[in-house]
This record gives sequence, structure tokens and C-alpha cells, in this order.
Amino acid sequence: MILNYIKIAFRTLRKNKGYSFLNIFGLAIGITCASLIFLWVEDEVSFDSGFAKQDQVYYVPTHQEYEGEWRTFNSTPGPLAEAMKTEIPGVVRAARTKHRDFLFSVGENAINSSGRFVDEDFIKILSLEFIEGNANEAFKNPAAIVITKETAELLYGENVKVFGKTLKVDNTENYIISGVIENLPSNVTFPFNWVAPFERFTDGKEWTKGYGSFFADTFVELSPEADFAAVDAQVRNFLEKKTDDADSKAFLHSIKDWHLRDNFENAKQIGGRIESVRLFTIIALIILLIACINFMNLSTARSEKRANEVGVRKAMGSGRSRLIIQFISEALILAFISTLVSVLLLFILLPQFNVLIEKELVLGLAQPSHILFLFGITIVCGILAGLYPAFYLSSFKPVEVLKGLKVTQGSANFIRKGLVVSQFTISIVFIISTIIVYQQIRHIKNRDLGFNKDQLLSLNVNGTMIEKFSVIKQDLINSGAVTSVGLNNSGVLNGGNNGSGLEWTGGTNTEDVLIFFRYVSSDFIETAGMELAEGRGFSENIAKDSTNVLITESFAKLMGEGSAIGKKIDRGATYTVVGVVKDYLFGDMYGQSDPVMFFNYHGEASYMYLKTNPQVATDAMLAKVEAVMKKHNPAFPFEYNFVDEAFNAKFKSEQLVGKLSQFFALLAILISCLGLFGLAAYTAEQRSKEIGVRKVLGASVSGIVKLLSKDFLKLVGVSILIAIPIAWYTMDNWLQNYAYRIEIDWWIFVIAGLSAILIAMVTVSFQAVKAAIANPVDSLKTE
Amino acid sequence: MINTLLSLNEATRTVNSGSNKVTLLNNINLDVKEGEFISLMGPSGSGKSTLLNCIGMLDSFTDGGYTFLGEPVHSMKEKNRSKLYKEYIGFVFQAYHLIDELNVYENIETPLLYKNVKSSERKAMVADMLDRFNIVGKKDLFPVQLSGGQQQLVGVARALIGKPKLILADEPTGNLNSKQSEEIMELFAELNKEGVTIIQATHSEKNASYGSRVINLLDGKIVSE
Repeated sequence: MILNYIKIAFRTLRKNKGYSFLNIFGLAIGITCASLIFLWVEDEVSFDSGFAKQDQVYYVPTHQEYEGEWRTFNSTPGPLAEAMKTEIPGVVRAARTKHRDFLFSVGENAINSSGRFVDEDFIKILSLEFIEGNANEAFKNPAAIVITKETAELLYGENVKVFGKTLKVDNTENYIISGVIENLPSNVTFPFNWVAPFERFTDGKEWTKGYGSFFADTFVELSPEADFAAVDAQVRNFLEKKTDDADSKAFLHSIKDWHLRDNFENAKQIGGRIESVRLFTIIALIILLIACINFMNLSTARSEKRANEVGVRKAMGSGRSRLIIQFISEALILAFISTLVSVLLLFILLPQFNVLIEKELVLGLAQPSHILFLFGITIVCGILAGLYPAFYLSSFKPVEVLKGLKVTQGSANFIRKGLVVSQFTISIVFIISTIIVYQQIRHIKNRDLGFNKDQLLSLNVNGTMIEKFSVIKQDLINSGAVTSVGLNNSGVLNGGNNGSGLEWTGGTNTEDVLIFFRYVSSDFIETAGMELAEGRGFSENIAKDSTNVLITESFAKLMGEGSAIGKKIDRGATYTVVGVVKDYLFGDMYGQSDPVMFFNYHGEASYMYLKTNPQVATDAMLAKVEAVMKKHNPAFPFEYNFVDEAFNAKFKSEQLVGKLSQFFALLAILISCLGLFGLAAYTAEQRSKEIGVRKVLGASVSGIVKLLSKDFLKLVGVSILIAIPIAWYTMDNWLQNYAYRIEIDWWIFVIAGLSAILIAMVTVSFQAVKAAIANPVDSLKTE
Repeated sequence: MINTLLSLNEATRTVNSGSNKVTLLNNINLDVKEGEFISLMGPSGSGKSTLLNCIGMLDSFTDGGYTFLGEPVHSMKEKNRSKLYKEYIGFVFQAYHLIDELNVYENIETPLLYKNVKSSERKAMVADMLDRFNIVGKKDLFPVQLSGGQQQLVGVARALIGKPKLILADEPTGNLNSKQSEEIMELFAELNKEGVTIIQATHSEKNASYGSRVINLLDGKIVSE
């Protein structure tokens, strides 16, 4: 019996090539698209899942209160880890960690490598697997360092035993390799290429010992029996207990939430990437649904062709259930072929998709989960797409269809129209969303930042760059490639160093405001393209401005009415405001400009900013800058970042949403058009006799095209009416996530609606014209 | 003693067409004995096809009694009814109604699939039938590759494969030329001799003459016998 169904299915496919192509291709696109998304989702949800103790490992961030608002920070005081371990029952391991970039050199071979200083417990918290050395001995030597296999291979080549070798770091210090660990998977939230004992970082730094400085990332492991809620409650009160300060609350953040649920607002978890994951999962399902709708539509539209077979089979003694099984089997076979096609498409598209989303996803046909997924999607699509046609087709009465009576398509027609409307509604919503997402991204990118990110090069400060700053600066400017050079202790785009508890002239309740501190060289303001609103900038003579500061406008506003020049700020020492800089944006590009205070001191600078000369081509400019850096700082490789690129990178998740929604809009439209194309073809076929009669009676070709297109365009019109409020509501909601956002313009809806109509018209008119120019003699002869 | 195959008692079929109630069959009384070859005659619209469909249980009477092999069809559930006709009735259609996607062999085999006949048995039965109708050489052809007469031959073979007691043929030669018609009618006569009961609807006096009994219908009523 099944064999019979399969035979019929294949013969039907072959006989109706066009229809089969539309069906299979449409469904294949849907499945491909869903698979791409689910591969991405799989990658996202599997973040950090490579670590063994999924239920016991926690990160410890802190909520801190400023001006009545709770902000969330990663850093914690140094003694917290040890204290938690000894004082809170249930915490069995705790480790402080501190991220750091190293320059490793082995002979001529030098690489930059980021890693962490960690307490010994860290090794066991994350269950690091040792290839050389072992977890218990690794940190016995204070000069120890444990590196990943990949790092070892990069430095020493493959299959070389590196245990016990001495590794030169930053050209100054020596570390002894005490272990090699397995590479971390690519999808971890806190990646590192090496770990070294934390004491090596804290030695000589008295400030790391107390509760006053928040600088360490703390990780803890709970015992398997520990009650999370009870431990978390104690952790939340812990800092207050230690410092009498109720404004800071540490808390436990589960390893399972590190990647997907890391957004906090006012001390509440409010999601994070999980929202994108959910959104795209829904989108994938919607695209699949559209593809299935195509299938249903085309199947029921063709019902007249199959009606006869249904009648005969029923007269031969087939019950309805058997027919239903037959039609669902056919749908399953089609779905199966579609899946095969989509696997092919996946192999072609995955590399491009990976470029688009900047990941390295792999379709593992040997991976049971992927096979199971494809299998599952086939079954679901087959049944979903086949169910309605199966019930519809099998309901035909043999007496009616065998007599050649017209199948009454009332209900099917209605449902078909409904399905077309839902397809186009979805497509139009996608079009509108795409436009709005892109507008919003452009809007933010064009925002006045308060500084000039273009032609701005950023170098990490290392080696002798600070000592030789004035020579380097002079040589750079002499080279003609650079017009201005400045130093800063924080990245110009980043939040960085901050504090509260300051007092200033004209301020009340001042201790509660979070102020950001910047230690800069005198030229920084000019280099970054910031503007002075009043007063003067720093002088090159550092001594002259050692107790003078610049502040931003938002800070000046805190100081009350009138000019801020000459007002005093007390931060342990007392500083005098000599200039006010226009507000500039850093940290959160969507948010407000936080108040900043600039000091004229570059001894601890981390970044050197170069304003490049636009007259010099980028390659030539970089060559010249590199030559200068090689001359004055030869021990370190020349590495640089363009600030505008770093700025763009800040919109990664929005860009991703933008790119993907564009991608999905295109696919949704493509699939919907395939369906519409098929439907139009069948309508034209069904009405061929009517068209013939009309032509004989004198109808013009354009009249007939209009007649055939009108119904479809009406459906698209209805779709537009439904889509607009849905799109408006969703996108308005989405925009609420951004403090700095666009208004939704009415013309977006016009454009989306017009393009949907245009696309539908092109699709339908092809078939309509074909039907209209056909010779009426042929169609009338068919009876 | 010859058994009664089926009997109709005041059987009536009405349909609602708009607001009008149209009577298609009006108080039909008919007994059919096993082994009879009945021809239903009458002008278009007289109710021949409706009567055949109702007897074949593809359609049902709206009133009156219908007994098939002693079982009251009128009070049966759809499921039992379909079981009954699957078992005992074969259909031959004017337009052949072969399944285009199946070849000759598979078309003939189809009713057996629905009767859950085992594969080996099916093979033997279909082979017999192909042999008997001299169409072994055509078993792999599809309906479109056959002439009308050949298609109807396959149609009859398909109706016979389930070994029915009753064959219902609605203008079986309506689409055939005279030579092909003759062949099909002779085939029916032969089958009838072998004991198969046949009821055919026809316009042709010549075809009716193959039968043992002629029933004339007009406006849904039996007017003469």
C-alpha cells in the first residue's frame, strides 16, 4: 500500500513538474532558512555548555546604586572571593580573576594573547582539562603559567612538549609553563588563552587587598547540595556586612545565563541575547509556516485534478482515512525531497551565512542532533502542509466528482485566500521591520557623538610609549601622516574608570552621582575632535595644570547656574575647573552622556590616539606610523584599531538583526511569490474557458489581465491593511529599547505596501498575460 | 431456487435545489435476482445514473427501503455500507475513470489493496485477469497510452478483480465506437453467463438487447418493464 502511495506521489511529481518545483523549492527554502536560524540558535544556547559543572558555577557581578538607580558592574573587591568561600556555607570554591593581554615571545616568534590572572580554584571551577601538567600542581610555582594547546602550538609548533619551558612575557618578565590545557570551545563568554596565579597580578598592589576597589571578576562554585536561593540571599547582603555600605550588592549569575541573560536594569535581570534567540526562533517558525502554507494552497488549488482520483478510489472501496494517509504520505515525500534539496542549499549558503553573522556554524550530517532536527522538520512540515489538503481532498463525494461536476470550492477558496493574505501580511511586516531597523541603525550611527571618530587611529600603549611620548608624537607629526596625537587611560568609546562621592561648588547630594575619570595628555581633546564650550584646554606643561581639570557640559550642569570655570571639585585633593568640554558619548551609544572629568596626567595611559591626515592614503599612513613605532618601541608588534570600526562593532547585535531581517524579508517574499505564482497559474487554468468565451465576445488582453490580477491584488491590499498595525506595534515596541531612537514615518508603510503590490503584480501578471494571449479556440475545444 | 440479490421498496431520492425540492427517484420498487442482466433505459435526466449510484451505495436514498443480500442498507452506518459494496459491488464508468498516474497493472490491483489482499495473492489475481482479457502485453502502459476500448477493458477488469456479485455499469460504451462497444457488451454477456449480476444504464437499444430484463425510467419513476 505504502509503495503504491510512493509510486503515485513520484508519478504525480513528474507529471506536474512546474507545480512540484514550486512546492519543493518553496519548502526547501523554508527548511533551509529555519535550519540556518536553528544552527545559530544552537550555537547561542550552547554557550559555556562545554564546562562540566553547569549547575554549580556562578559569576559574581555587583549591582550598585547611583542617584536612585541600580547599575550592574562586573567587578568585585579583591577579598570577596576568599571571604565568600570561608563564610558562606555552600560556596566550595571561589576565585578572583583579572583579564590581561600578554605579548608572548619565543625567539623571533611573538604573539599577543589575552588571558587571566586567576586564583587556583578557577582551574577546578571550570574543570579545565590538562594535557601536560596537572590541575593540582599547576599553580605551585608563583611564576607558573598554564596555556592552551593552541597557544602552545602557535609559540612552539605542533607536538612539542612545552612543560617547564620559560616563556618571556611583554619582553620583561619570565613565566614557567606548568601546564597545557585543552582549547576552549569558541562559544564561551569569558575566553582566555592562558591563566597565571593571581598573586603575580596583586603583588605590590596594596589597593587590591581591601573592599574599596572593585577590580576583580569573581567566580564561585557551589556544592551540589547547596540551595541556590539561600546562598544568593547571603551573597546579596555580604558586601553590606563587610563595608556597611548598602549601595553595593554582589549576586550570583549562573553559568547558564552568562551569555543569554546578561542584561540588568535596576538590579533586575531583563534578558539579553535570549531575546534575539527567541525572536529569530519565532521568525524561523513563521518562514516555515509560510512555506507550508504554499504547499497547502497549491495542493488545494489543484484539487480538481485530483478529485477524479479521489472519486475512483472511493468507488473502489477506499475509506476516507486511507485517502488521508495517502495524501499525507505524498506531502511527507515532498517534504523529504525538500529537505534533501535544502541540505544541498545549506552547504552552499552556510559559508555566506557565517560571514553575515560572523560565526563558524557547521552542519554536521554525522551529528545525531542535526539529523534528528532535519528529520523532525521534515515530518512536521509534511504533516502540517499535508493535513489540510488531505482532509479537503478526501472529503469529495465520488458521485459528484465522477460525474464531472465542478468541485464546490467555497470553503477551500476562502481558506486559500486567508492563507495568501497571511503570507503577504508576514512579508510586508518583514519589509517594514527591515526598513525601520536600518533607519534606527543609521540614526544612531549618525548621532552627534561629541567627538570625531573618523580618521582616528587607536594604539594600545605598551613598552616605552609613555616614556618616549613626546619624541614619538613629534616623529609622527613630522612624518606627515598624523596631525595630532593624544593619550588616554580609557578607550574613547568605553565607560572605564569612574567613581562617586565627590563634592563640588554648587552641588547638593553630590556623593551619589557617578563621575567618569579620564587621565589624558594635553592634546587628547583636540585629537579626539572634542570641542571646548568654554574656558581653555590643558597646557603642554603638565605641572602647570596638575590641579586643574576639564569637565563635560553635563557635569557643569550639576554645578548649577552660571559658568563652571573656576569652580572647585573635591576628590581627596581639590581641583579647579579651567574648561568645559561639550558632552560626548561613550559606553552605551544609545544612552545619555555621563559626566566626565579630565585630568592632565598621562602616566597611566592605556591608549594612544592618532588623528590621521586625510591627504595621506591609509596604506601609506599606516606604513609611516609603523615605521615610527618600530623605531621607538621596537620590542612590540605594531597593532592598531580604527575608532570608526570599533564604533561600528558596537552595533553588532543591531546589525545582525538588520541583516537577518533583510534576509528573511527577501526569503518570505520569495516563498510567498512562488505560492502566488502557482496559484495564479491554476486560477488562469481554471478560468481558461471563461477567458476563451470572453475573448470570443470581444474582451481585450488588458481587460483579461486586469480581470485575473484584480482578485489577487485585493488580497495583497487586505494584507497591507493587516500588516501595518502589526508592524507598527512590533517595531514601536522594539524601538522602546533605545533611548535614542527614530520616529516611525508613515512613508515606510507606503513604500512597503507599494512594493508588495508591485511584486504581487509582476508575479501574477506573468500568468495572467499568458492566459490572456492564449488562443480561445484551444481552451474552448477542451470540453 | 434463485436468491434475491437486492430489493428496493418505495425507494425515493430527493434533493434540495435552491428552495425547490426535486424528486430524482420516486417510489422505486425493484427486486434483482442473482444472475440477472438488467438494462436501465430512459432519456437523460430520467434518473438512471442516480438509481445506479444509490444501488452502488455511492449515494443513498432519502426514503424507502433498500435491502442488499438480506441486509437493510438504508439503516446502515457509512462504514458498514462501504464494507458491503467493497465486498460485493464493482463499478464500470462511462469515462473509464482509470487513475492516470497508475499503469494498467496497478489500476487493476487497486481494489485489492483496499480489501487488504496479500501481495502474493494479488499478483496471481491480477495476472489471471490480465490473461483473461488478453492485455498482458499492456500491463506496464499508462491509461493515456491506451485507446478508449482498451481503457474500458481495463475498467471492467478492475471492476471484476474483487470477484463482485454485482457489476454496476453507467453507460459503459458511451465513449466508445460501435466495434469497441460490441466487444464490451459481449464481455458483459459472457460474465453474466458465469453468474455475475449486471445492471447497466444505457441509451442504446442494441446494448439493452444483451440483457435479460429492461427497465424504463421516466422522471424518476419506473414506467415499464
